[in-house]
Amino acid sequence: MTLSLDLCLYLCAAVFSIGVYGVLSRQNIIVILMSLELMLNGVNLAIISFGRYFITPEGSALSGTGASSSQVFVIIVLAIAAAEAAVGLAILLAVYRRWRSARVSDMRLLKG
Amino acid sequence: MDALVFLISGILMTASALLVVTRKNPVYSAILLVVFFLLTSLNFLVLRSPFLAVIQVLVYGGAIMVLFVFVLMLLNLTEEELDEKVEPGRKLLAGAGSVLLFILLAWAINSSERIQAAGDTDLTGPVKESAARAGETREIGKALFSEHILPFEFTSILIFIAIIGAIYLTKTRRADQRRATEPAVEQPEESA
Repeated sequence: MTLSLDLCLYLCAAVFSIGVYGVLSRQNIIVILMSLELMLNGVNLAIISFGRYFITPEGSALSGTGASSSQVFVIIVLAIAAAEAAVGLAILLAVYRRWRSARVSDMRLLKG
Repeated sequence: MDALVFLISGILMTASALLVVTRKNPVYSAILLVVFFLLTSLNFLVLRSPFLAVIQVLVYGGAIMVLFVFVLMLLNLTEEELDEKVEPGRKLLAGAGSVLLFILLAWAINSSERIQAAGDTDLTGPVKESAARAGETREIGKALFSEHILPFEFTSILIFIAIIGAIYLTKTRRADQRRATEPAVEQPEESA
């Protein structure tokens, strides 16, 4: 059996959609941040799959450092995910301290 | 064989991701998220990215998950606070929306000429001669510090700003401390 590019991308799309479902349906901010991590992981896997396809003989003419570009992209996405998690959880702590609630629907100070 | 490993761990990944977003208790979600990250790192290994597989376990499974679990411990949410009180229509709407998104993405994958040109190319198969060393730590280091040095430096600035922001946001000011000792504020508008 062979592992085609389509299959990888369908898996990434499924993981990303599940993450979107989590963000839309949950009220607990911690779980929403976890769903964001799910979405970022789906994207990472897609980048890696493309990178792997491009270094097969049938792929494009990447060579040298270009062949490792996909890995560099994933490292940068990872760093941004870490920064996002840190700031998101800090905001959650500040909000919880003020309103004693971790529900998103309780945060309506900006609502007109 | 490799493809089979990818397929099985892909199915398990989808299952654990579904469990992460549906569990009521966020601690279960956190544990299942670790399982999800480990399975992802297995898939990275199959796709010839050993360095990223290790980084995935260290950064996601280690650092980020510790952050989540630490905040869960710090908040110490009660049973009543964990009750999300979601309106009945909301879950249905979110489910419909995400299924629609998946169909849209699948349609995009299916109709993209460039992706379809890949056809049945085996991603576990042989590698081009000129890119035989791609994915090795040495090659990633070379790419990171030559071709992609600018985004790398910007990322370091971003992380620096994130650290300052996180410290500033969680710092307790005197007014906040007084509020923390008072009984819980029920109405957000009251304190606004």
